Amino acid sequence: MNAIIVGSGNVGSRLSRQLTDRGHQVVVLDINADALRNLPRGRVDSGIIQVLVRDGSLSSSLVEAGITNAEALVAATGIDPLNGLIAQKAKEMFNVAKVVTAVKDTALHSMYESMGIETVKRSESVAGQLMQSITGEQD
Amino acid sequence: MYLVIAGGGRVGAPLASSLVSEGHEVFILDKEESAVDAIQRELGMVASVGDATVLRSLNDAGTARAAAFIAVTDSDADNLAACQLARSNFDVPKTIATVRDPENAELFERVGIDLVVSTTDLVLANLATALPAHPLIRLMPLADRTEELVTLKIPEAGITVGRKLSEVTLPYGASIVLLINSEGRRKNLGEDPEIQAEDEVVALSPTNTTDELWEVLTELR
Repeated sequence: MNAIIVGSGNVGSRLSRQLTDRGHQVVVLDINADALRNLPRGRVDSGIIQVLVRDGSLSSSLVEAGITNAEALVAATGIDPLNGLIAQKAKEMFNVAKVVTAVKDTALHSMYESMGIETVKRSESVAGQLMQSITGEQD
Repeated sequence: MYLVIAGGGRVGAPLASSLVSEGHEVFILDKEESAVDAIQRELGMVASVGDATVLRSLNDAGTARAAAFIAVTDSDADNLAACQLARSNFDVPKTIATVRDPENAELFERVGIDLVVSTTDLVLANLATALPAHPLIRLMPLADRTEELVTLKIPEAGITVGRKLSEVTLPYGASIVLLINSEGRRKNLGEDPEIQAEDEVVALSPTNTTDELWEVLTELR
């Protein structure tokens, strides 16, 4: 499947590794070029993971990342409200089938869940949980 | 009426003053102590330091008894989350938000924010009267006037500027037949060219959707 990950921190980079391990296509966006260095270097160089230095909250960036053909979007910027906005944009404006996000705040967590956005608690094991949410597979 | 305002900056502070002078009761949340101090000096103890995307801050601000929740921080993401929390956790009857990025206005409306104000659009609407017009010229009626050939110019601040032709959704049945850059050169439509400011567009358009086509191609950012 084609997956877009917004945010190249710990969560985004681990998840990109796990998804490409299973042969999925991944595009990672981060507004900060330095953050993209967290990604597995070899896979970025070989083009298995595509990277874009862009503001992933903008529709134009998401379109450039191929959101119109993406089966999944993961909002993992590290800022809860921003993840909420990106996830809702993917769902409402682009009808992405699988929208997943990681948030820390308990109230936002349950609110996004109630909107039909799969939400995992941001914590150490979050990449694994996200992986399972997206693919239905255990890491 | 009791109103809770998220954001006590350039929009929130004067808004709070004018609401108070109209006899409303307000409470303002802002992350910045300096903003809160300034409001307290003018209006008294009606502001506190807090993050409006955090339930506890909303609770302490008395959001549960607010007739409306108004989110006017600098962050679109915070404004959305704050309004949604106010609605889902405190049943606030009316939520109002500003967006800095005009593209977020549609999203906010779709997900149920009652009133969305795009600050950029407001400025542009005011400036638009001073900008040169971008009229649409009807070149030729076709097919018993059910279609027509029209031309128009892409505005400098057009929303389509920088987009590929394929990324612009035209009204059903409309198609661009010529795209000419500001130097008078024809762009190769087969190469899915990027639309640039001041491009001349010649389009074939069903007559009843020509207005819509004009809007799509001349809408401002």
